[in-house]
Amino acid sequence: MAEVRPDEISAILRKQLSGYESETDIYDVGTVLQVGDGIARVYGLSQVMMSELVEFPNDVYGMVLNLDEDSVGCVLFGESTKIKEGDTVKRTKRVASMPVGEEMLGRVITPLGLPVDGKGAINTEKFLPIERKALGVIQRQPVKEPLQTGIGAIDAMIPIGRGQRELIIGDRQTGKTAVAVDAIINQKYTHTEEAKELGIKPVYCIYVAIGQKSSTVAQVVAKLHEHGAMDYTTVIAATANEPTPLQFIAPYSGATLGEFFRDNGKHSLVVYDDLSKQAVAYRELSLLLRRPPGREAYPGDVFYLHSRLLERASKLNDDLGGGSLTALPIIETQQGDVSAYIPTNVISITDGQIYLESNLFNAGVRPAINVGISVSRVGGNAQIKAMKKVAGSLKLDLAQYRELEAFAKFGSDLDKATQKTLSKGARLVELLKQGQYAPVPIEKQVISIYLGTNGYLDNIAISDVKRFEKEVLEFFEVKNNKILGIIKKERQLSDSTIAEIRKIADEFIAVFK
Amino acid sequence: MTESKVSARYANSLLGSASDKGNLETVAKDMELVYSSIKSSGELSRTLSSPIVKAQVKTSILDEIFKKKISKETMDFLKFIVEKNRENLLESIVKKFLDLRDQKLGLVNVNVKSAVELGEDQKKKLKEKFEKLLNKIVRANFTIDPDVVGGFVAKVGDTVYDASLKNQLEILKKRFLKGGASLN
Repeated sequence: MAEVRPDEISAILRKQLSGYESETDIYDVGTVLQVGDGIARVYGLSQVMMSELVEFPNDVYGMVLNLDEDSVGCVLFGESTKIKEGDTVKRTKRVASMPVGEEMLGRVITPLGLPVDGKGAINTEKFLPIERKALGVIQRQPVKEPLQTGIGAIDAMIPIGRGQRELIIGDRQTGKTAVAVDAIINQKYTHTEEAKELGIKPVYCIYVAIGQKSSTVAQVVAKLHEHGAMDYTTVIAATANEPTPLQFIAPYSGATLGEFFRDNGKHSLVVYDDLSKQAVAYRELSLLLRRPPGREAYPGDVFYLHSRLLERASKLNDDLGGGSLTALPIIETQQGDVSAYIPTNVISITDGQIYLESNLFNAGVRPAINVGISVSRVGGNAQIKAMKKVAGSLKLDLAQYRELEAFAKFGSDLDKATQKTLSKGARLVELLKQGQYAPVPIEKQVISIYLGTNGYLDNIAISDVKRFEKEVLEFFEVKNNKILGIIKKERQLSDSTIAEIRKIADEFIAVFK
Repeated sequence: MTESKVSARYANSLLGSASDKGNLETVAKDMELVYSSIKSSGELSRTLSSPIVKAQVKTSILDEIFKKKISKETMDFLKFIVEKNRENLLESIVKKFLDLRDQKLGLVNVNVKSAVELGEDQKKKLKEKFEKLLNKIVRANFTIDPDVVGGFVAKVGDTVYDASLKNQLEILKKRFLKGGASLN
């Protein structure tokens, strides 16, 4: 039997602990006056900074949110039952921060950067504070690159640019998360070699789940895995059973990680799902910290809560690498009430919104986007020319259709022109329906919208529209792959391309039945 | 919160008037006596903060306890506080006053905890070291706490200078748990 000599052991011990020095430890302390409901009031800590991390006994950490005259209000990131009155609190002398790095991709983490997916420690090198100041005017440039979501209705009519903040708003069960997840899945294309050749930079995604069920988060992660989207995505999970302070800081963590990519000249997309839950978490904390309640019992600074978060979305100027951080905040409304406090706030902060409606959803229009009231205030500049060209008439046709929609039930009593508008509109609505987890590449979107707005669908039954679209795109792909390549490369529709598309479409219609 | 503001205001004005009159030392000494009496007698502080006991009674109680032991100025101050119905804050006012006086004189309290009684020489050295470090006059209080295991823990205000064996052992434990050191 092999023997281990004691001096060998002590040598190893000495070596491993070589960094260990016995020096006087100097730290600032305070005493817990009161604890409960995830809040602790601490006496002392006279030098403590706002939003500094403080260490409680039993490895519980807290964050300072209130600096009062003779006490400090902290929120706890752990169980408050582990802390009792009179416990000593230590300063850490650093503001709440999280580890960042590319190693985070493919992982599920807590808002403080600890892994929760059971795949072991994450070895990152850099730490960044969770709350950072948004960039100023000088460092930015206008949004000009498209961020394709792969959803036809959005890419055509409510385009999103890199560096934009586009709100996704709707009642429960209207497919808000589905839109965001589809957008993440569609970024897979940007990581391919082909995209690199075309000069499309990869987009790294961050999905922040706030106050959701753990099972829902697990489902999203599984779907992302299934579609190969997890390779470039980080999921930050602050589920409903997590302490409220974690739910409150989760979006800021997401923004910090996104900013890491942005500041390195890369592009990132952060989905905050959802900010109404974060506002509720913040309301809880504020009330427990005895801040005065305002409208709907939210504290006075909920607007700032969201504006400082969303202001961090940006497109850097070329001197700083031209990176971007696109934000897709999600807000859940109650019974379609968009005039509640939080929805109006976030609507006014963002650069546009995508409205999802439950009656559209139930009528089978999925994604249930109400294109009439959805807008994108800056994305139009970022649309590729080809899409801009075809989307113009699409918007017009759909607007006319909506105007006359109420008359649709009179059927054949209507005049010819009205009937034509109605039948075209109905076909376009059908064309924009799209399955979940099935993003469509931009060049295919261009072709199907071109065909839709140029009368190619007029003689096809509404029930056949989707089948027609599928088959015609297959026809383009299999038999005439060149044309798709041209649109992708040139990003615009020249007359010759249009002629080519028409020729192929006519060819296809002749055989379609 | 309002309490501390009120006490600070009373304490400040007493400090101001005492130093104007040049009898700060006497008043401070009196206040130390008052502080220790209130601290040691729960009955006294309970009586003072009780709303049932009339102000006159409180004044006469204070009079009887402190009359021969403290100066007239201090006595007047105590009576003034009772008159203003702030006697329930007396303890915090006195405490604040002593703190403010220390601040004014550049005094600082250093509480040193050690596992065993320190020798006179050690105490003196420690005191000198802190005086040099803080650039203030140090008033050192030494206590014994076996939990420290070895070395000492000195507390100055909110800052702790921890040179105890206990802390070192805890750091060592944390390091082991972190997985930085392995025996394989």
